Amino acid sequence: MAQQTPVRAGPVGGTDAVAAARTVVEHGLRACEAYSRPDLADRLTAAQRRLADPGTHIVVVGEFKQGKSSLVNALVGVTVCPVDDDVATALPTYVRHGEQTAANVVLDGDPPLREPIAVDQIRLHAVEGGGNAGGVRPDGRRVAGVEVLLPRSMLASGLVVVDTPGLGGLGSTHAAASLAATSMADAVLFVTDASQELTATEMDFLRRARDLCGTVLCVMTKTDFYPAWRQVRDLNTAHLVREGLGEVRLLPVSSALRTRAVKTSDAALNTESGFRELVRVVTEDIGVGGATRAAQDAAREVVAVCEQLAGQFRSERSALADPASAQRVIDDLTQTKSRVESLRTNASRWNQTLSDGISDVSADIEHDLRGRIRRVVNDADDALGAGDPADSWPQMEAWLQSRISYELVANYTYLRDRASDVSAQVGEHFREVSGDDLGLLAVYNPTPLLSRTEFNPDIKLERMTARKQTMVALKGSYSGILMFTMLPSLLGVTGLAPIAIPIGLLMGRAGLRDEKRRQLTQRQAQAKNAVRRYCDEIQFVMGKDSRDTLRRIQRQLRDHYTARADELNRSTSQALQSATESVKRTQADRDRRVKDLDAELGRLAQLRQRAEAVGG
Amino acid sequence: MTLLDRTRGVLQRAALAYRGTPHEARLVATAARLDAPLRVAVAGRVKSGKSTLLNALVGERLAPTDAGECTRIVTWYADGHTYRVVLHPKTGEPRQVPFHREDGAVEVDLGGMPPEDVDQLTVTWPSQALRTVTLIDTPGIGSLSEAVSRRAWEVLAAEEDETPADAVLYLMRHLHSGDVEFLRAFQDTEVSRPNPVNAIGVLSRADEIGVGRPDSMSSARRIAARLSADPLVRRVVQTVVPMAGLLAETAVTLTETEVGHLRRIATQPPRTVEGLLLSTDRFLEQMPELGLTSMERQHLLDRFGVFGIRLASTLLRRDGITATDLSRDLVARSGLDELNGVLSSLFYRRRDVLKSRSALLALDRLLHEHPVPGSVALSGELEEVTASAHPFNELRVLSALRAGWVAGKPEVLADLEHLIGGTGTAVHERLRLDPEAGLPERTAAAGQALARWQRRAENPMTPHELVVAARVAIRSCEGLLADLAAVR
Repeated sequence: MAQQTPVRAGPVGGTDAVAAARTVVEHGLRACEAYSRPDLADRLTAAQRRLADPGTHIVVVGEFKQGKSSLVNALVGVTVCPVDDDVATALPTYVRHGEQTAANVVLDGDPPLREPIAVDQIRLHAVEGGGNAGGVRPDGRRVAGVEVLLPRSMLASGLVVVDTPGLGGLGSTHAAASLAATSMADAVLFVTDASQELTATEMDFLRRARDLCGTVLCVMTKTDFYPAWRQVRDLNTAHLVREGLGEVRLLPVSSALRTRAVKTSDAALNTESGFRELVRVVTEDIGVGGATRAAQDAAREVVAVCEQLAGQFRSERSALADPASAQRVIDDLTQTKSRVESLRTNASRWNQTLSDGISDVSADIEHDLRGRIRRVVNDADDALGAGDPADSWPQMEAWLQSRISYELVANYTYLRDRASDVSAQVGEHFREVSGDDLGLLAVYNPTPLLSRTEFNPDIKLERMTARKQTMVALKGSYSGILMFTMLPSLLGVTGLAPIAIPIGLLMGRAGLRDEKRRQLTQRQAQAKNAVRRYCDEIQFVMGKDSRDTLRRIQRQLRDHYTARADELNRSTSQALQSATESVKRTQADRDRRVKDLDAELGRLAQLRQRAEAVGG
Repeated sequence: MTLLDRTRGVLQRAALAYRGTPHEARLVATAARLDAPLRVAVAGRVKSGKSTLLNALVGERLAPTDAGECTRIVTWYADGHTYRVVLHPKTGEPRQVPFHREDGAVEVDLGGMPPEDVDQLTVTWPSQALRTVTLIDTPGIGSLSEAVSRRAWEVLAAEEDETPADAVLYLMRHLHSGDVEFLRAFQDTEVSRPNPVNAIGVLSRADEIGVGRPDSMSSARRIAARLSADPLVRRVVQTVVPMAGLLAETAVTLTETEVGHLRRIATQPPRTVEGLLLSTDRFLEQMPELGLTSMERQHLLDRFGVFGIRLASTLLRRDGITATDLSRDLVARSGLDELNGVLSSLFYRRRDVLKSRSALLALDRLLHEHPVPGSVALSGELEEVTASAHPFNELRVLSALRAGWVAGKPEVLADLEHLIGGTGTAVHERLRLDPEAGLPERTAAAGQALARWQRRAENPMTPHELVVAARVAIRSCEGLLADLAAVR
């Protein structure tokens, strides 16, 4: 029978790369200190922070009552997400690492506000009818989610597992919100239970999620309860292959067995539950993937910092090594300095590109949204004109909500793509100027040792950074999550109560035909008006939301590149200063200084090489 | 003259007016329906457990059930003297077809005819249960065209079409109210439209709700109660009852062999059984000492499910429990008794009204579509019956109430719903009294209700719709008082 080995929640992942990255970042920080460049040190400190918590988001999605919350609980080995036979999860729950078990509610806003709550109060906030779920506070802030901190080693590599409300069929509001959430996730766990094959709806969602996120896993739950789960698994695998989703892995699991395995430390049962494999995939493939990416990003930051420092030293060295050309170096550096200074002004090209780009996008997004809403209103008018709203209203309401949410997701995806483009363009324009200058600094590279690593701005890397900037801004914006709570509450606001029909109609029929026709027309007009009011409201709220999001992106990009320009400016100033001083030095002094510089450059080159090895 | 007699009279006169036309036969058939058992259709989406429930109601495994989609043809199960199956093709004469029984289930030989050419099958079966009700098994509809889903629900009783069934049981799996499927769950039948006067919702496969935990049924009961109170659900069904269909079917068809196998499991210590039933895989493979072959284990799983085996093996631990005791216990726990109770109070006791309603709807449609000399007079007569028959007025108020068209305080509306028989037509149900309440108590309660509703009807502040409804309620109270006086 089962051997009594403790079942752990999983190994810590991606440690090697992360540790190596941590070391080079520390070295880099020391270098910044030694050369008194606190501005560059700031940049590395930020990288260090990201390294400590890469925030790899795994979003758990699926239809209602498929066992998503149970899966999350079984995965982390503690009951954090409330599970109920009837009541479903109403708000996204973020489970992440913390030194101690704690819980917060996340309030909508920029930045989102966190309010600590007792751990046993999670239920009150996260499930439907819990009292506070999805509610608006007196101060106008909306509860956007619940955050749970757990001291689990499995989460220590920065994994964040997000439990979400059920989809409720394709085309429902929640499905749209879940899609928006997946677009920001690092991986998606799609949950379906073993009671039946994947439905057409689920398949469609899987396809969309794959397009938006990339890493999608399909988890089949409740294998302990349904005897035919193997048959269902094979059918599902065949479905996935047929639909061109062959790369999506299907993992059959039983949360009930896993929970028991953790409780009784039964390793055999843990394997039987299918969770061993799931935990491996989550921590190693996804978690390590996220940690490795974070490590690479950090190492690349170190490379960039080395570049700045080395550039500064190299120009000084050129001036020292060849006094005859010193004046030329100084002239060039003076020119560079003025150019770099211009990078910091509002008139610089990248800054122009940024403001123009964002206002263009803002206008286009608004236009796109208006067009979409108008089409929805027209379709709704047609549908309402064809029948009696008294009978079709419930379907109409559901249809309207779902249609609107899909249009909003499409609009949002458009915003994301356009913002990424602008970000890439800004990066390019910045690089056009700064890259040349960094190159100029490198021209005076007399050290054969360093010639191999001649500065060659990596365009691809720069683009990636630009895209990341946009995603960071979007992730902070909570747009997607807003939809979880916003749409249903709005319907209430506009007051679309069932449309009344006098009971007189029910008592016999004679002479009532005309009256009925009149009332029908009236009901149709009433319903059409209600649809318009609702759509106006949506357009107003969403318009503001996307404008805010874009403004946030703009601010973030501006801050990012202004900081880069400041660093460059400082590097150039220092190079210029050193070069000017070098002219005044004695020969012996110069020789000594050149030797020092060579040593420094050697050290920097070494650090750079190590960082490049980690950065890949 | 009873409602049934009046309906029969109108139909007879209509048959005379239509003599010699192709419609005469239909009218005769419609009149014959009045004397036949009530027709109840079992409807719902694919895989909601319709055939299983039907078998549980009949008490025999008549309808074939399978893990895959199984019922493809509308099949009627009616009482009769002999065992036989009649096939009604879409075109051509009905004919008797051979059948055999596979594991109890009736497997019909269609004689090479593709299922889509078959209009319906009628299985005649001598059975106690089928004497009160004719059951109609329907294929579930998986997806709906846009046109079908947009079709308005005609909740107004007087505007409905003729339907083959007098009442409907709607089976639904546990659905969330935010689910787009939720509304569609009620729209997928061709035998009868949903209507709060003749439909009951059944939360089928209730044991799956708690993933087979012992308290699954109480969870299911809670969910059914919530669904019954949901305004959208109230528009289409009278109430929702939970039911573990598989368990009910197995309980009413339990065999001694099965009980013997279960006893072997029950002799094991509870903790061991718990470990064995952790997963279906374990149940099939572990503990060879039980002496059950893998086929026997598979059979138990198919018949009981994890929930059923857990429950039955626990029940069998009690001393001296017989197979009959076990069957009775399982029936009670499956929710079948509750469903039978609801069926009898909402359908069987009101069968004359439901049958008359179906017949008059059929006649109404015929008079409008194929007028003959005398149609106008017949229409007038029909109108008189439908307008003056108090049970019909009660049904109309009920559907208006359920559709949310009558506004008022919740407790007033609940009182109204009970009085007009919305939760059961027995006197104590209407007056919300204990079933044991004596005659004086009943008379007093009816008198108070009458006074209460007279006040409401005369109050100038009462909205018009409620006044109309109040008049119907007053009539109901008067009827109750008259009945009670007759008993005395």
